[in-house]
Amino acid sequence: MEINYKFLIDTFYIVLAAVPTTLKLTIIPLLAAAPFALAIALIRLQKGKSLWKMPVSAYVTFVRGTPIVLQILMIYSLLPSLLNALTKAWSFDINVFDWDPIFYAYIVFTLNIIALLSEVLRSAFGSVEKGQLEAAECAGLTKVQAYIHILLPQAMVVAMPNICNLTVNLIKGTSLAFLMTVKDMTAVAKVSASYGYNYIEAYLDVFVGYIIICSIAQVLFHFAEAHMGRYRLSKQK
Amino acid sequence: MDKMLKVKNIYKKYKQEEVLKGVDITVEKGDVVVVLGPSGSGKTTLLRCMNFLERADQGEMEFDTISIDMHKVSSKEIGKIRQKTAFVFQNYNLFQNKTALENVTTGLIVGRGIVKTKAVEIGMKALEKVGLADRASFYPSQLSGGQQQRVGIARAIAVEPDVILFDEPTSALDPELVGEVLAVIKQLAKEGKTMVIVTHEMKFAADVATNVVFMADGKIVEEGPPKEIFLRPKEERTKTFLRRILPQEEYNI
Repeated sequence: MEINYKFLIDTFYIVLAAVPTTLKLTIIPLLAAAPFALAIALIRLQKGKSLWKMPVSAYVTFVRGTPIVLQILMIYSLLPSLLNALTKAWSFDINVFDWDPIFYAYIVFTLNIIALLSEVLRSAFGSVEKGQLEAAECAGLTKVQAYIHILLPQAMVVAMPNICNLTVNLIKGTSLAFLMTVKDMTAVAKVSASYGYNYIEAYLDVFVGYIIICSIAQVLFHFAEAHMGRYRLSKQK
Repeated sequence: MDKMLKVKNIYKKYKQEEVLKGVDITVEKGDVVVVLGPSGSGKTTLLRCMNFLERADQGEMEFDTISIDMHKVSSKEIGKIRQKTAFVFQNYNLFQNKTALENVTTGLIVGRGIVKTKAVEIGMKALEKVGLADRASFYPSQLSGGQQQRVGIARAIAVEPDVILFDEPTSALDPELVGEVLAVIKQLAKEGKTMVIVTHEMKFAADVATNVVFMADGKIVEEGPPKEIFLRPKEERTKTFLRRILPQEEYNI
């Protein structure tokens, strides 16, 4: 077997050019999912019965219990037709089939991350001592103020390693976006490879691309955790 | 005398366990009420009910001019009461993500809308009072238990509450750190702060209390000035408790 070095290098640049797509597919869903995930986590942490608890738990179970490939295929084949029917019914002059497929990728990944992130946050809030909320309320803070100033900052530090995990998994998971014809790193490499059957080289390039991105993400999260958790530094010494 | 805080007929039940069976307590301005009693007698629950950390099943509260049903109390009323009271916890419960100074100022800035510069000024004064001005920028994890509890007290006095509630403030401390915390509380008593203190420190209770309440099995067995309770307890239950807790030589205070 011979490696086509010229192709290897050329394709690497093509892969690099697709890095922004992969980053967008990671960052936008993460940010879009965060408020919903927080809401679900708080609903599920509520004591006693709540009207929202059941549907919200069912949603989390559903997302966690199905492969992401299936979620992608489902949404990508179902959602456009559904939206099309709706726009037709309300006689909007929009053709949903013209939309950039990345739009559907955002939706799938956001729906997926909402469920996963909500579980991460739920366990993180659970790890914050009950006394912190009591002390905040006794100091005259409302519950919302207590969550914003006291509980969330502490929960986020605990959640950081898991959010990092989730982010790295999402970065890797975005490679499935090619199923929706999104031109991410994996997709462009495959396309390039298919002209001359240089699959080995192309896959090597993608490999390196993901390793670099994921490593950078881990380093960033490490620093973020250290910075946000500086108040517990002396404990670890 | 100004009747500041009066609680009547509190009942509280956890599942089948009746913890409070009709407790009345009256606190007048400048009073230091010390609540004593064996563990499981409901002292802490009483204190937590008074600040609505626990919801009493029944009971009435009169606070200044406010009068409320302790079971059906609304969160707005709870907020009102909490603006006038402060609570010192057994395990300090300092905000872990805040420095000593921020622990004191958060309630002022966020909870009461005081401007930051003013709050920092008040906060530093409170820390000075508990002897920790030089630790203002330290996080709780960098402080000893005794220092943490003093910050907890600073946090309580900074809001200038009408009443400070102490829930076993020295129970979680190493013995050699108890003194520094008690000294701070004694100082507050001297200044005429109104306080309700649940404690197991008998000598301290005898020193600072204006009124001692002895509780057992969810009821008040006996109450009165410390001299009465410690030297001439009337009830058999109080006598056995004191005999068990006080070393013989301290029995005659």
